[in-house]
Amino acid sequence: MTKNIKKVFLYVVLILGSIFMMYPVLWLIGASFKTNDEIFSSIWFMPESFDFSPYIKGWKTSGAYNMGHYFINTFKIIVPRIIFTVVSSSLTAYGFAMYDFPFKKLLFSFLMAMLFMPQTVMFLPSYMIWKSLGVLDTYIPLTLPSLFASEGMFIFMLVQFLKNVPREIDEASRIDGCGTLKRLFFIYIPCIRPALISIMIFTFLWTMNEFVQPLIYISSVEKYPMTLALRMSMDSTSQGYEYNKIIAMSVVGLLPSVSVFALAQKYFIQDITAGSLK
Amino acid sequence: MKNNNKIKKYHNPVGESKYTGLFLVMPFIVGFFLLQIYPFVVSFVLSFTKFSINDTPEFIGFKNFKMLFSDSDFWKAFFVTFKYVIMLVPLKIAVSLLTALMLSTRIKGMGFFRTLYYIPSILGSNIAIVIMWSFLFTSEGLVNQVLDAVGISKIGWYGEETPAMWIIVFLRVWEFGSTMIIFLSAINDIPRELYDSARTDGAGNIKTFFYITLPMLKNAIFLNLILQMITAFQEFNAPFLITGGNPLKGTYTVAMMIYDESFKYYNIGYASALSWVLFVVISLLALLIFKFTKKIRSD
Amino acid sequence: MKYSKFRKFTSLLSISLSFIFISSCGKTEENKILPDGSLDKCTLRFSWWGGDDRHDATLKAIELWNKKYPDIKIEAEYGGWDGWTEKLNTQISGDTAPDIMQINYDWLINLSKDGLGFYDLNNLKDYIDLSGYDNEILSFGMREDKLNAITISMSGRGLFFNKDIYSEIDAEIPESWKDLIYLGNKFKEYEKYPLDLDIQSGASAWYLSVVYVQQMTGKQFITMEGELGFTSDDIKTALDFYKSLEDNHVIRSVKTRAEQDGNSALYQSPKFIDGTIAGVLEWGSAVGKYENVLKNSSLVAGHYLKSSDGNSSGWMIKPSLMYAISDDTKYPDEAGAFLDFLLNDEECAEILGTSRGIPANRNAYNALESSGKLCGISYDSSEYLGKTDPVTLSPYFELSQLKEYYNTAIEKVSYGILTTQEASEELFDNVKKYLERIR
Repeated sequence: MTKNIKKVFLYVVLILGSIFMMYPVLWLIGASFKTNDEIFSSIWFMPESFDFSPYIKGWKTSGAYNMGHYFINTFKIIVPRIIFTVVSSSLTAYGFAMYDFPFKKLLFSFLMAMLFMPQTVMFLPSYMIWKSLGVLDTYIPLTLPSLFASEGMFIFMLVQFLKNVPREIDEASRIDGCGTLKRLFFIYIPCIRPALISIMIFTFLWTMNEFVQPLIYISSVEKYPMTLALRMSMDSTSQGYEYNKIIAMSVVGLLPSVSVFALAQKYFIQDITAGSLK
Repeated sequence: MKNNNKIKKYHNPVGESKYTGLFLVMPFIVGFFLLQIYPFVVSFVLSFTKFSINDTPEFIGFKNFKMLFSDSDFWKAFFVTFKYVIMLVPLKIAVSLLTALMLSTRIKGMGFFRTLYYIPSILGSNIAIVIMWSFLFTSEGLVNQVLDAVGISKIGWYGEETPAMWIIVFLRVWEFGSTMIIFLSAINDIPRELYDSARTDGAGNIKTFFYITLPMLKNAIFLNLILQMITAFQEFNAPFLITGGNPLKGTYTVAMMIYDESFKYYNIGYASALSWVLFVVISLLALLIFKFTKKIRSD
Repeated sequence: MKYSKFRKFTSLLSISLSFIFISSCGKTEENKILPDGSLDKCTLRFSWWGGDDRHDATLKAIELWNKKYPDIKIEAEYGGWDGWTEKLNTQISGDTAPDIMQINYDWLINLSKDGLGFYDLNNLKDYIDLSGYDNEILSFGMREDKLNAITISMSGRGLFFNKDIYSEIDAEIPESWKDLIYLGNKFKEYEKYPLDLDIQSGASAWYLSVVYVQQMTGKQFITMEGELGFTSDDIKTALDFYKSLEDNHVIRSVKTRAEQDGNSALYQSPKFIDGTIAGVLEWGSAVGKYENVLKNSSLVAGHYLKSSDGNSSGWMIKPSLMYAISDDTKYPDEAGAFLDFLLNDEECAEILGTSRGIPANRNAYNALESSGKLCGISYDSSEYLGKTDPVTLSPYFELSQLKEYYNTAIEKVSYGILTTQEASEELFDNVKKYLERIR
């Protein structure tokens, strides 16, 4: 009946949309098997032939370590970062969203101000701080800021979501005599779980793609994360390079990101009340 | 309204001290004073100096700012950036909201589609995406082939300012994932009962959208508006990699100018001044949005 | 008085600024560590950017060094070109630069204004054998009276043509500017172009126009000392020359080029790959990537174009890469010894091959020549260039800000926004002002 027609219509739209969204991935996978001239001269995504040597060569890299080593490095940055970010952002956002305290407005505007400032001119002074702390060429400049709620964007986001949580839930918990932190963990966090999951996903993906920060702070090849390793052989100033190797490794690099998202996405849609009101 | 003679009152739940909140935001306060305020202040001080990389900053007063305001590249870059924000932000929010609504329906296989639709955002500014996207819009690229096939005349995308801007706008709209996720999470928060009662009242889809969905999503829309505005004003990667700011600086954004001044031309003082102007502009606009939406949001 | 108060304020500010940038201040000779005359046990950092073959070769060379000097360990810091300047700039201003680094010619201008930005290699003559260089080549690394950097290889921009397309349409590889213009009309019949020039990071469009005017006038566009040698009229001639190339179908207009290729480099252009564009102006040391994408045809090194009376001057040559030692190095002796190894050691030269271009050092050059490693179109091109008596490209010529000015002028002329007269005046002013500021 009409409901079924609607469903069919929705599927048709979704599938058409997927083609649009998927084309680049097809192209990407196709391009990983192409030679440079093929990549730049054909618009069709299918390669003329399939040859897995870009994957093998790309994985081996031209340096002292193979790609697996750099993958692990990236995860050494990602894991602490996600943990730090979730803990510090939810505490801070909880404070801003639910409590009134001295200098609240001022502090919140500082938080927003940090978002408005272009990062380019902040690199050098930040570098000086880490240098004076003696932690250059370690992962500390890349991970430690997360412990201090450095992603204003996330806090701002969580504040908005916390404000959406119905007041009655809060009041109910007070009657039950829950303390400040207990309320955060048992009442609020379940309510804003989708938002927290998004934050984890964003942190994961941004760290996977982050280039400039590690470039500046990490100088030992041994400690390079994947993004630096991927570009290690890209020298447009001299003899050029084989794109298929780099694209092949990008495809490999996509796998963790896509699987993380595929696993996490189901948490976006769920019964919100399941965790809180019962 | 405020009475200065009175001691400020903090509205906290019964039994909570005014320091509880302060304690909770401690991570931010520590990080701010330890890591963020210093670069912030330094960039401010440097904006009044002539400083290239390997020497001592020399104080020159407001000269950088005077130079900026008489620099035609500066005005052009601001014009371009505003144009970009206006072209991108509403479109991206509309597309991601509609997609989020579609992807939040509970039917079989939705998880698969949600993942698919997020893939472009995972790719970000990946080198391979840059190559692919660049080639889509060349004169014999896929987009023109499609246009040709449906009988629309081909467009010289890279040759003129506005079409070149669309190349970048389309890329960023196509990577709508993060905006969409925020909408998805917010849609999830809308109590189902609201829809159920609306249905029993005989409200149609369009009506429920305007009377339930949209009002319930106002915080998420506000959030996305602010976040997208901030990112769009600081757009660097896409024009840097895809159009190179061309043609005729028609896609040359302020962030690109800041980058060039600090890393290519070694005018760090000038770049700092430029950053501060951009900072003030974004702050003012954000403030405006905050003020304007305050009433709607608190309803 | 108000004025003195202001002075007080600024001096106070300067002091506080020096606190902010403690490290960047007081770059004097006193706080440099002087050589102590012995090679001690230590670890040195050596950084370079490049592609696979350069990485491979250099890592092997380091291995060889470690066998010879097991006490002096070399830590390699290498990566791709993207972002390398940002990284190195940050390191240099943070006084954390590697002991030995590969740098570009024009960086000396900004990174070492007074010769104090890098270590003065004159102090390390006990370790670095400079006999493989003539004085002119050494002078490229001089700032004031200090030897800041040593040239690894010299490179010139030459023309390279797709010889199969040329023979297909029965066109001759051009020898003079006149030939080139003539070719434009010939190629037009086949809807092809004999050459490509760009306004991207290489600014090759302006480069060729400058060569043309330098040959005609005998002047140098920008002198080694950073003086503008051209008059506004000379600049107009150059822009007119550029325009005539477009008008005569020698090259695509800026707009057509953008529409067809986007912002991609020529070797990524389908038009180049399929032979529609049959020529390129490129550094001899960087032409490999063009050869690489041509599957069914091949490139040949072109002549250095001359005027109708046979004058072939005006073409330019520059140090394509250099080595420098950080002014903060703690181990100058050891760094000097390693640098000498990189430049002079025969075995090392064999390993490095032409991964950083054709070596400028005679010892290394001879080693490669005797083992037959010098060949290919890049070598041909540099041989041809040697015969034209090239001028040395001023380090100021390729400053990014100036390239930006050249490209803007060309773009505006090409789009018809400015006449060549107007554009030349604007360009003249911009270049002159900038040079005055930076010198």
